[in-house]
Amino acid sequence: MRQNQSLTGSIDWPLVLVYVLLLTMGVSTVYSVAYTPEHPSIFDFSQKYGKQMMWIGVSLFLGCCVFLINSDIYRKFALPIYLSVIALLVVVLFMPPVNGARAWLGIGSMGIQPAEFAKIGTAIILARSLSSMNLNQQSVKTVVIANAIILLPMALILLQPDAGTFVVFTSFLFVLYREGLSYDPIIRPLLRLIPIRALHFKQTWIGSHFIPILFVVIFLSITTLLISNETITLRMFPGEEIPGYWGMLFFLALFCLAAYFCMRFVFSKRDRKRALFIAIIGFFLAAVLTSIVNYSFQKLAGHQKERIELVLGLRHDPDGDDYNRNRAMAAVGSGGMFGKGYQNAIVSSLKTNHVPESETDFIFCPYAEEWGFMGTFVLVGLYLFMILRIVFIAERQKSSFNRIYAYAVAMILFYHFTINIGMSIEFAPVIGIPLPFFSYGGSSMMSFSIMMFVLLKLDSQRGDVLN
Amino acid sequence: MKFEGRKYVILSIFILIGILYAFKLFYMQVIDDTWKLRAQKIAEKRREITPPRAIVFDRDGKKVVSNKTYYNLMMVEKNIDHLDTLAFSKLIGWTVQEVKDRFIAIVKGEGTYYNRHSGKTTSNYQKRRAYPFIKELSAEEISRIAPHLENFKGFYEEVSSMRHYPYANGANILGYLSEVTQPEIDNDKFYKPGGRIGRSGIERYYESQFRGEKGVKYIVTSAMNNTIGSFEDGKYDTIAKQSPPIQLGLDVLLQSYGEKLLKNKKGCIVAIEPNSGEILAMVSSPNYDPNLLVGNRKIRKNYPGLLKNKDKPLFPRPLASEYMPGSTFKLIQSLIGMQEGVITKNSGFPCNKSMVGCHDHPSARNVAEAVKMSCNPYYYAVVRRIIEQGKKSSSFKDAEIGLNVWAKYMRSFGLGKRLNADITGIRSGLIPDSKYYDKWYGHNKWKFSTIRSISIGQGEVQLTPLQLANVAAIIANRGWYYTPHFVKSIGDQGPLERFTVKHKTMVDPVHFTSVIEGMKSVVHDQGGTARKAYIDGITVCGKTGTVENYIGKIKQPNHSAFIAFAPMNNPKISISVFIENAGGGGGTWAAPIASLMIEHYLTGEVKSIEKEKRILDARLPISK
Repeated sequence: MRQNQSLTGSIDWPLVLVYVLLLTMGVSTVYSVAYTPEHPSIFDFSQKYGKQMMWIGVSLFLGCCVFLINSDIYRKFALPIYLSVIALLVVVLFMPPVNGARAWLGIGSMGIQPAEFAKIGTAIILARSLSSMNLNQQSVKTVVIANAIILLPMALILLQPDAGTFVVFTSFLFVLYREGLSYDPIIRPLLRLIPIRALHFKQTWIGSHFIPILFVVIFLSITTLLISNETITLRMFPGEEIPGYWGMLFFLALFCLAAYFCMRFVFSKRDRKRALFIAIIGFFLAAVLTSIVNYSFQKLAGHQKERIELVLGLRHDPDGDDYNRNRAMAAVGSGGMFGKGYQNAIVSSLKTNHVPESETDFIFCPYAEEWGFMGTFVLVGLYLFMILRIVFIAERQKSSFNRIYAYAVAMILFYHFTINIGMSIEFAPVIGIPLPFFSYGGSSMMSFSIMMFVLLKLDSQRGDVLN
Repeated sequence: MKFEGRKYVILSIFILIGILYAFKLFYMQVIDDTWKLRAQKIAEKRREITPPRAIVFDRDGKKVVSNKTYYNLMMVEKNIDHLDTLAFSKLIGWTVQEVKDRFIAIVKGEGTYYNRHSGKTTSNYQKRRAYPFIKELSAEEISRIAPHLENFKGFYEEVSSMRHYPYANGANILGYLSEVTQPEIDNDKFYKPGGRIGRSGIERYYESQFRGEKGVKYIVTSAMNNTIGSFEDGKYDTIAKQSPPIQLGLDVLLQSYGEKLLKNKKGCIVAIEPNSGEILAMVSSPNYDPNLLVGNRKIRKNYPGLLKNKDKPLFPRPLASEYMPGSTFKLIQSLIGMQEGVITKNSGFPCNKSMVGCHDHPSARNVAEAVKMSCNPYYYAVVRRIIEQGKKSSSFKDAEIGLNVWAKYMRSFGLGKRLNADITGIRSGLIPDSKYYDKWYGHNKWKFSTIRSISIGQGEVQLTPLQLANVAAIIANRGWYYTPHFVKSIGDQGPLERFTVKHKTMVDPVHFTSVIEGMKSVVHDQGGTARKAYIDGITVCGKTGTVENYIGKIKQPNHSAFIAFAPMNNPKISISVFIENAGGGGGTWAAPIASLMIEHYLTGEVKSIEKEKRILDARLPISK
């Protein structure tokens, strides 16, 4: 009896509700976009919507299985699970390529994509190993293990190649950040090699705050790229064209100078020297970064450069290289406030096929076109709610294994949500990754569902274990 | 937990992205219209549907202009799969080189597009779009090609429609269509490249009616440019409306008969129904079959020849040929004289040939006799009295006043000005007034004797055959006319409003009696100049004209002219006939032709076999 109670009683129903909602909205969008009048039944397995229904059924069945198994096994069998997905990732490389990538295992449409399941395996082993580490005393070993766990599947996925899933794996960095992993054990010995005493920090800000640093790096890189092709002319030196990059350096110097004076004001007298030092190092690092970005951008082959310019909006080619994004944005934008109505998508319907992959990676387009801003607002709200709810669940776990796993799930979902929707609203480059629970496809449906059910199971047993 | 604060870093990233995305979506979907317009451009096509042009019937309901189906051989390069050029060129009857050239021409014809951003110039030609490979194939041609098209992927046939003229007559009236020019496309949104517009005749004059109303269909197209369906179930679509049928006053059988009569002659016939102003026939010879100028292919083939032909078959003689009217003019001179009171119907003048020549005949004792015998000295005297009314002592000044009075009368007969008929290419002819001669001779430097030729319809006076037929109609109506016109009715609208306005001449109806009496004698009485115009059982009233003409100083064979109406009471047809350089007098050629037309129109058949045969056999002018 007690077992029964715990099976249902401690399930996080809000999360289940959002999951079911997204699943329903997703399959109805697939039904709308792929609808053929000759096969009106949503259970017609010859059609994409029928198959999607089947995948949902399989996923729910797998979910039930997950619930019947004690959650202990994930911790216990973390390594075998991880190794088996790694093995699958290796095996898949020997499969015949589909659309230029060796991502599919199996025959025809019934194949699976091991990369989707690798996310779960990696999340579990990461949770297992981080939870057993003593993060108060980090060593080179802890850093290397934590990163090797992530990098191994990433490398294999890059070989397929599958840029989308590759990028998604960087989401685990956020998990490392949350758990307080620091790169100092690697950075500090490296700094020691430099014979400047002042550089021999006890701890570096960069090593532990790598996520904020990551954002600074992204910001600086994009700014550099935007300015790279520009030239500046000064009234003092008419006719002289100064590369935009010099302007960038000038502003960086200005910023560091201002930061220095701010720090002087805040810091105690004793630390003022340090302030100057920090400012100089900051400028030096930023200058090196922007120089590298600027130099490599200028040295890139023509088509690669054009590609980057396209993503940055420096170049327009709506009917050529930018076809996908242009069509996707037209579909989303044409939805208006209330949308064109269910089954009335025009630009992103499979019949017109203006938006490619509108049942899989671009499924947000028909949804946005049919439901308008009302629909997209609700969808963004639902995903945000789901992710925040998972963070909430993560934070209430007593076991750090559970917490780390939950954070990994939240981060993976966040990445998929951000990139998938972002590529239809020019906030992200066009990288083919599915919208969780929405996009047509068995592998993503099953892997996201298993991921979710494992989380729900772990959460429902959160009282049972302490670790 | 040591790193509790990091939870908030991550949470703020989540929330920040959520808010950012919501705002961006709100901007894209609700505020900014860019993407809505872009979506329309991508997926919605506005297809204009041009209705078939108006069908045209003659006065008896015979179809004179209809639309015939024809076919375009279309091609989509993307779908072409290993084209067997040799077999294909054999199928369409071209050479391999011609096929290759055609592909190049299609691509070139689309023009190029310069992308300012990339600096690249790209062709507007699109491989996935359909282009006509051969236009305007007939049903026979396509039936030979179509069965084999399945061997040539990427080619297919497309149906369209084109003008057809069941009667090969009246080309000068009906006109022809040709492809619109760029300025026409720029001026009127109705026209799209490749569309057609009326180029001459009533097709041109009634273009805005004949073309009908375009329909618009909004369709959804796929990325492959295929039609998926109508946009929003056709909520915004409008239906193309063909113009209602057009009925002409033309009698196509009479027109056809007239063209037959004028074969191998240069000249024209204009027949008008006097009490309605409807033009029954308007023959311009030489003529051409209107079916020769249907569609680009035929126009390209036939038009240059017609244009270069020295007999000018494209020239609308009845409207634009300005002839001296010769003696036919004497009818109006008589009427003006009586109205001005300078003669009465019983005035007689001796036929003294001192000032103008004449043929031998007894002196005319009244107007009717003068008309019958076409006495030149008589009209010299009459017109002298009109022009020199003695209102001024100077004969120069007197002539100026008199001529202007005379010219005013002439204008009231629709002469010296353009008749506002419903066709383009009409010319005004010439009725000289004082201004005209002042320019020619100088002010006060001319008097009646200077300009006396106008009294017998020679000299400066010029009339078009249309005007002359209208004069016949005026006399038949005893003093009024409706502007001659072709279109009797558009649908059940009736003719244009201006064709229902009665124009009255300045001559009182009572004065017409004696002139008409004279015209009857011309045909019916011994000594009349047009005995050849006699028809059993029909009272024909006519007047001959023998027009002397010169090229430079060299005298050319006379034009043979005749105007008439019939029957005398309750006239049904008025007619003018002009045969250029026929050699004989008005009574020799023009009069019998007019009578055959009248007989054909009034009785529906021609019993004057001998007369008809003589005309049909004649080749005029007689070649030297």
